Amino acid sequence: MLDKLKRLFTPVEALEPHQVRDFINQHKEGTYTLLDVRQPREYEGAHIPGATLIPLPQLYDSLNELDPDKPVIVY
Amino acid sequence: MAGQGFTKVYNLSGGISAWEGETAQGPVGLHLDLVRGDEPPGEIIKLAYAMERGLGGFYTKIKGIVQDPALSNLLGTLISAEEKHKQYLLTTLHEIAAGKIDREAFEAGLSQKIMEGGFEGEELFEKNRQFLETTSGLLDLAMMLETQALDLYLRFVGKIEGSEAKDVLYRIADEEKAHLQSLGKLRDQYA
Repeated sequence: MLDKLKRLFTPVEALEPHQVRDFINQHKEGTYTLLDVRQPREYEGAHIPGATLIPLPQLYDSLNELDPDKPVIVY
Repeated sequence: MAGQGFTKVYNLSGGISAWEGETAQGPVGLHLDLVRGDEPPGEIIKLAYAMERGLGGFYTKIKGIVQDPALSNLLGTLISAEEKHKQYLLTTLHEIAAGKIDREAFEAGLSQKIMEGGFEGEELFEKNRQFLETTSGLLDLAMMLETQALDLYLRFVGKIEGSEAKDVLYRIADEEKAHLQSLGKLRDQYA
């Protein structure tokens, strides 16, 4: 029970753009997930290369498509 | 997500508007028709090799018509980079095939029209002529192509079924990432 409560209140760490760029450059592809939660039209206009698109309204139902053991960077 | 078992979740502060790096364009499905999904690793490498060869051919064509020595030198550098990529892919194929690959026979069976990112050379040339007149314009174009290529390889991962083929795509994507970083440094020199 305590574990569940702790997970609910685990803060999400904000990374500055240069920190995300460094993270991407320092980690091999396939070891992390870049997640774009915008709408398809926004993704089409511009997205970070390799980002997985899951629009926010669909995110909860699509979480099983992602690997929870890999770090996720969301934008 | 943090409450759903995802232990490391980060947020890009400022969102994509704050992002200063390269971005890719196009819908999720762009050029995904280049793969079926059931390709073994060797076929993935074949596709990537065809695209690298296509881009090298594109740069070679431009080199044949430019007059500016600085542009010509830069194109020579870009062509060399594509040759290195092709060599990397052949080495990877040797590892997977556990035997020597006949380069000539391998190249004979490749698609002639395609290049990195899924573009076709003639169309790309006509649409981007204005970028081919300066070194900075050429580097901007090169970075755009490599960014689209990186994005495409990673989008292929979502369609490809086999884990070995996915691993090959991740390795190719890592090469593209390194190449993009080199191009970025080159662009800083020519800016």
